[in-house]
Amino acid sequence: MSIDTVKEKKLLITLVGPPNSGKTTLFNLLSGKKHKTVNYPGATIEYSISSFLEQYGINANLMDSPGIISLIPASPDEKVTIDNLYIHPEFGKPDLIIVTADASQLSRHLLLARQIIDSGFKTIVVLTMNDLLAEKSFSIDDKELSVLLNCEIIKFDPRKSDGINTLIDIIKSNLNGDTKTINKRVRITDDDILCIYREIEVIEKHVLIDLNKDNHEDPRVAKANRELVIAGAGSMIKLPDKLTVNIDKILLHKYWGLFIFIFVMSLMFTSIFWLASPVMGLVDDSIQALGNLVTDTFGNYWYSDLISKGIIGGFGVVLVFLPQILILFFVLGILEDSGYLARGAMIIDRPLSMLGLNGRSFVPMLSGFACAIPAIMAARTIQNKRERYLTIFIIPLMSCSARIPVYGLLLAFLFPGKYFLSGLILSLIYVTGVIISLIVAGIINRYKKTFLKFEDNSSFIMELPVYRVPKITNVIKNTYSNAVQYLQKAGPTIITFSLIIWLLTYFPNNAPDTISKENGNTASISKLIESERISNSYAAQIGKTIEPVMRPLGLDWRVGVSLIATFAAREVFVSSLALMFKVTETDDNMSATLIKEMKNAKISGTNEYLFTTATSAGLIVFFMLALQCISTIAITKKETGGWRIPILQLIIYTGSAYLLAFVTVNGLRFIGIN
Amino acid sequence: MTVADLNSGQRAIIKDIDFSHPSSNRVVEYGFTPGQELQVLNKSIFNDPLSVSLRGALIAIRKNDARCIEVILANEH
Repeated sequence: MSIDTVKEKKLLITLVGPPNSGKTTLFNLLSGKKHKTVNYPGATIEYSISSFLEQYGINANLMDSPGIISLIPASPDEKVTIDNLYIHPEFGKPDLIIVTADASQLSRHLLLARQIIDSGFKTIVVLTMNDLLAEKSFSIDDKELSVLLNCEIIKFDPRKSDGINTLIDIIKSNLNGDTKTINKRVRITDDDILCIYREIEVIEKHVLIDLNKDNHEDPRVAKANRELVIAGAGSMIKLPDKLTVNIDKILLHKYWGLFIFIFVMSLMFTSIFWLASPVMGLVDDSIQALGNLVTDTFGNYWYSDLISKGIIGGFGVVLVFLPQILILFFVLGILEDSGYLARGAMIIDRPLSMLGLNGRSFVPMLSGFACAIPAIMAARTIQNKRERYLTIFIIPLMSCSARIPVYGLLLAFLFPGKYFLSGLILSLIYVTGVIISLIVAGIINRYKKTFLKFEDNSSFIMELPVYRVPKITNVIKNTYSNAVQYLQKAGPTIITFSLIIWLLTYFPNNAPDTISKENGNTASISKLIESERISNSYAAQIGKTIEPVMRPLGLDWRVGVSLIATFAAREVFVSSLALMFKVTETDDNMSATLIKEMKNAKISGTNEYLFTTATSAGLIVFFMLALQCISTIAITKKETGGWRIPILQLIIYTGSAYLLAFVTVNGLRFIGIN
Repeated sequence: MTVADLNSGQRAIIKDIDFSHPSSNRVVEYGFTPGQELQVLNKSIFNDPLSVSLRGALIAIRKNDARCIEVILANEH
């Protein structure tokens, strides 16, 4: 090995903290632009690692860790988190641990800090939410706490970020000199936790300063008073945030709570669709314009087709969902930062637990409406394995944004000009998706011994954070990193499949030479060449092979090919249908032309109309249920650690999609609707 | 009597934790330790889960998990 490749090992600082202690906000504040998401080896937990912002001048890696409340693992995933905290296989032992703790609930949040200190790590405790404590007219004597805990303490609110330089100085001084920590894994039992809590309670009495009293009294009297005040029943410090309790009287009201919850969720979805659709249209149009520009510039050759349809088209498919995903994560971020999301999980826990799910399934299910990939990853927060797998199992039934263009086309075909009715049916499709997912969960839960063979304790304990005005910059930063994750995870797959489908639809490229002689107009020539090429392509051959499967649904090989293409990404259906029906109009209204073509299309070799009310409705039903997304299958395999769940999903969902589409088509025909 | 038996608004003091309950570890980690005073604030639809005020924090907990927290009612004042 040459000298050059031996890199000096960077110091490692790990951020640890209970949920809602401001840990992620602190991470966002300290970390530089380059985030790296890494897996904890052996588990599906991801965390971010980053260098410090350059201006701070700290040459070390900063690692975020999932929120934990103690060093005793409650689930296999949590065990890996904690093992990797002690010593990480790739980055080694942390040279410094920064523990965040909510000052307004010191006695709870010091538990973790105390365990970390006892394990022998070099530790800095960052006390956050000091403003909340001040509202209760208390303050913390940080010097005293530092002595009692035997570690550095700093009061710092990452939401406000003033005083960051003091924190940076403390970090720097702790990194200088001897950074070797002699840590040992302490075995912690229930009794130990009770002991630690008792100690913390004593510490708390010593460090809490009552701001109302201490100012005017002799310090010694004040200290004696302190202990009295804290010990007294109904002490202010033991009371939760008053405003939060009052808001909860409404938002967590036994009946109103559920009502408001449903209202908030509907509002959220409506806003996602309203806000995203113009942007999505814009993205779609620009991608198409760019593709046309390429064809116009390079002429009608295979490489221009590859660039315009295969590559630019592929990127377009990836980008067209970005607005929705951004808006969904932004709204979710606002709800989370304000403190409402945890309430949502609490409100919905009971109904979901009846179906074998958990209140914690709620956020992943919600994310499933944008894209199943981040949603399935979000299911990691569910500790119980059976509930986690069940959540992952039903997420593909949430109508993801990829299906919107398909529904949009089919609804525009079924109800031309009737926007209100189309919108209503679209909402109905969404609601039906949720209902079906709940039915599926219920059925699987009933036969859980056959499907999901895990027996572990189902529980739901969750801290409800104080209501706060969301910090927008924080929400934006999280939205951004989620969007980047989506692009990294889904992007390559979608583009690869887009290229494969392009290959299948372009080659073997036998366009008859005769066409050019028969027609004068160059535009119509290239259109005819293209449609000839497709009907002779490998894709068409595959489509014709599977036509017997499509016929019961009243569809022919062209729709079959489009359905195969949807495995890259569902919305490819629309563009590949456009290819199949020879819609090569370069004007701005592709879908209007496509709808016109669809109206006239007849099943090849017969006089039967292809797209009727019945077959279109059947297609909608098919898209609601079928699992036709390679990326979803891949991520499910990864998250469940095997092929069992994704293959079950593929068989059950695609099978029942076919069956129900068949029933829909023939049922509608039977009652005279064709 | 356990936390699961309390009505909304009732205050109680934790007497003991039933360590044979599978959720007992979690419950203790969240700060439900003997001697602490708590108050049930809200109940979700179907009376489950509960939101409990404890140590200056609000914690949502399922009735089933709350069953391992044995309490005695606090004197009203």
